Amino acid sequence: MINLLCSGFIMMVLLSGCGWDGTPTRNNDFVPLTSIEIVAVPSTIAAHTSTTLTAKGNFSGIFTRDITDQVTWSSDSPSVAAFATAASPNRVTGLAPGTATLTATVGSVSATFKLTVSSATVTALAISPQTPTIAKGLNTHFTASGTFSDNTTQDLTFDVAWTSSDVTVATVSDDPGNKGIVQAIAAGTSTISATFGAVSGTTLLTVTEPVLQSITVLPANPSVLSLSSTDSFTATGHFSDGTTPDITSQVTWSSSNPAVATIATTGGAATTLSQGTASINATLNDVSGASNLKVTGGNLTSFTISPTATTIVILANNTRVRMTANGTFSNGSIRDITGAVQWTSADPSRASVTAAGGNLEWLTALAATQSTIITATITPFIPFTATLRVTAPQLLSIEFSPTILNLTAGTSSHLTVTAHFGDGTSQDVTSLSTLTSGDTAKATVAAGGFGTERVTGVASGTTTISATYTYNGITFSTQFPVTVMVTTRTLRTLTISPQISSVTAGNQVQFTATAGYSDGTSVDVTADTTWTIDNPNVAILADNVNQPGLVLGVDNGVAKLTASFGGMTPILATTITVTGP
Amino acid sequence: MKQICRIIIAMCLPLLLCDPAIAQHSGPYVGAFVGGNVLMNAKSSDNLGDFSFKFDPALLGSAVIGWDLEPGNPVGNGRIELEYTRRNNRLDKVKFVEGSFTGGGDVTADSLLVNFFGVLHDSGRWSPYAGAGFGAARIEASGLKVAGQPMGSGSNIVFGYQLGAGVDYALTDNLNLDLGYRFFSSIRPRFTEVNGHAFTMDYLSHNAVLGLRVGF
Repeated sequence: MINLLCSGFIMMVLLSGCGWDGTPTRNNDFVPLTSIEIVAVPSTIAAHTSTTLTAKGNFSGIFTRDITDQVTWSSDSPSVAAFATAASPNRVTGLAPGTATLTATVGSVSATFKLTVSSATVTALAISPQTPTIAKGLNTHFTASGTFSDNTTQDLTFDVAWTSSDVTVATVSDDPGNKGIVQAIAAGTSTISATFGAVSGTTLLTVTEPVLQSITVLPANPSVLSLSSTDSFTATGHFSDGTTPDITSQVTWSSSNPAVATIATTGGAATTLSQGTASINATLNDVSGASNLKVTGGNLTSFTISPTATTIVILANNTRVRMTANGTFSNGSIRDITGAVQWTSADPSRASVTAAGGNLEWLTALAATQSTIITATITPFIPFTATLRVTAPQLLSIEFSPTILNLTAGTSSHLTVTAHFGDGTSQDVTSLSTLTSGDTAKATVAAGGFGTERVTGVASGTTTISATYTYNGITFSTQFPVTVMVTTRTLRTLTISPQISSVTAGNQVQFTATAGYSDGTSVDVTADTTWTIDNPNVAILADNVNQPGLVLGVDNGVAKLTASFGGMTPILATTITVTGP
Repeated sequence: MKQICRIIIAMCLPLLLCDPAIAQHSGPYVGAFVGGNVLMNAKSSDNLGDFSFKFDPALLGSAVIGWDLEPGNPVGNGRIELEYTRRNNRLDKVKFVEGSFTGGGDVTADSLLVNFFGVLHDSGRWSPYAGAGFGAARIEASGLKVAGQPMGSGSNIVFGYQLGAGVDYALTDNLNLDLGYRFFSSIRPRFTEVNGHAFTMDYLSHNAVLGLRVGF
C-alpha cells in the first residue's frame, strides 16, 4: 500500500512539473488602448484608385498591436474618399480630387489621417512578373503598377480589371479578395491583361506540362529480415496538377547503405544483406522520395547445406532432389536461407540447380557421370560443395504411398510416388509425376509445396488416384492406384496452436490449425488453412506455398495471425509478440 | 540569527543521535503546521484564448484533527485526519500574446480535506509516511491586476485533493514532530473578468510543512 501511494505521489508531482509553459493565445485587452496610429502608403492617391490603411494601437504606452481589424473607419468627405469595399473595410477609394480626413475609431479612442486625392491620370500600366512560366496546376500572383501623369507610380493591383485571353490555359481572378491570382489550367500560352480605364497592360503567361513535386515510395519504412528480399518498391509521383501517376519504372532507384541492402537502379525488390538501416531512394528530375528500410534478424555468422557436403548424392538420370541451406545469425536465430544462396553446378550439362520459388531449389541430374560438384556460395563465407553422382539405371516400377486415404471433405493429405530402379535404389519422383483423380467431384490433386502432391477430399464417396512418370522416354504407371474415401462432416470448431506465441526476430514458430467435427473427430488442417498476418513489419509467413502456418519474427511488436478454413467461420486469430531485432 | 540556528541545531542533534524505543500512539490527536508553498505557473483560459499566471511563493498554515489507528488493526498502520489549510499567493506576472506583464492581487485557497496516511512504524522514533486526501477548497481571486489595470476576481468552491509524504519524529509518546511535503491541486476554479467574461485557471501547488501533533 505504501509503495502504491509513493508511486502515485511521485508520478503526480512529476506530472505537475513547474506548471504551464505553453504559448498564450489571448491578447491583453485589460490594459486600455490610449492612442491609435494610422499608417498609409501612399498618403496621396489618384482619383479612382484605392489603398489600404492599417491601424496600430498603443496600449497605455506599454505595448503596441495591429488593430486594423478592430477599428471602425470613416471619412469626413465621402465624395472625395470613401471606404466602399465591403470585403476589405480598411481600403479607401479616391472618388474625386480633394482632401479627406479619415478616422479610425475604437471605443472612445480615435485617430485621423489626411488623405489627398489627386487629379493625376494613369498613363501606363506594368504587370509583374513579366512573361512568367508556371507549371500546370500551380498559381501565381500578378501585380499591376500604374504610372501617372504627375510622374508618380501606384500599386493598382486591386483597382484594375484582370482578364485572361485563354481561360482554358489560365484563369485570373478579378474577385476583390483575390485580385491578380492566376491559376494554370493546361499547357499553352495566355495573355494576362490588366485594364484601368482606357489603359491596359499585358503579359504573356506560359503554362508548361505539370512538374513533379514529390515522390512517395512504398512500402513505407518496412522492416525485413537479413538475407531476404523486400516486396517490390513502387514510386508514386505527385505532380503540380494534382495527378499521382505510378512512376516506378521512370525513377532511378538507389540504396543509401549498400552494405545493408541493395536495389537495382531499375527498381524492384531490395535485397537485404546485414542488420541495419538503409534509405531506399527514388529519384526523378532532381526530386526524390525515400523509404527507410530496417533490416533485422542479425548478421549471418555461418551456414550449412543439405544434402551435406560429406555425402555423395546419387541420383538417377532425369530425377531431382531438394537442396537447402540453413543460416545461423548473430542474434542467435537460425532460419532457412536456401533462396539467398548462390547455387552453381560445375558441369551444367550433367547437373543443374534451379530455383522454384520461395526456399525451393531443385538439384536435377541431367546426364550420367561419376561425380560432379555443386557449390553453395554466400559472400564472404567459404563456399560449401556437394558431390553428385548421376547414374542411369533401369526403372522397374513406380508405386504410391500411402495406398489408401481416408479424407474429410475439405481437407487434404500428401501422396508420394516412389520409383524403384534396377540397381536397387529408389527415389521420390512425386514432383516429376503426373497424378490424376478418377473423379474430381470426389477428390482433386494439386501441388502441395516443396514438390509434393496433395489430395483434397471434395465430396462423400470413393475414387482412385493414378500416377504416370516418364523416364528416359518411357512412361510408367502405378500398378495399384490410391483408393481415396471421402467423408463429409460438419465443422464445429477450428483451433490454432499455440494460441499466444513469442518469438525472436529471425526465428520461426510453426502454428497448426485443427478442425473439430460434429462426430467428435479432429483433423490437422494446417495445410488447408488460409493464413494471414496483419503486420508484416512484425512477423511474416515464411512460405505460404511450401510451409503453411510457419511464421517468422521480423521486428519488435505485436502482430495478429489469422486462420480461416473452408470458407467458413470461425475465423481465428492469435497474437505473436516479436522481440529483437 | 546565526546564534538561534546554532541553538536549534544543538537541541535537535540529540534527537538524531538518541533513538530509544517509543510507544506507538493510538487514538485522537490535534496538530498545527506551518510551511511554504509554491503555486505553479497556471494556465488560464477564457473565451478569447489562453494566458498564464505566475505567482510568488508564500507561507501556509494548517490545522489538523485526527485519529491514529490502533496497532495491528486490519487496515494497517496509519492515521485519518481532517485538515484545514490556508494558502495565499500574490499574482506576480501575467503572460499574454504580447508578452509578460506585472501582476497584482492574490489568490487564496482555503481547503478542508480528509487525509489518509499510511505510516511505516518501527521501534525507533522516525516514522516515514505517505498518503492522500480529498475534499473541498474555496479558492478566491481578489483584486487581480495586469499592468496596474483591474483584471478580475471571484471565488469558487471546488473539489480539491492532495498527495503527501513525510516523516514523523516522536518527541514523546504523545508528541510528534512532522516534516512533510504536500502536493495540492483542485479542479479549475472559475472567476470573472472585469469585462464580465468568465475565466478558469489551474491550481497546482507544491508545499513543504513542519508541524506538531499532540495525541490524547
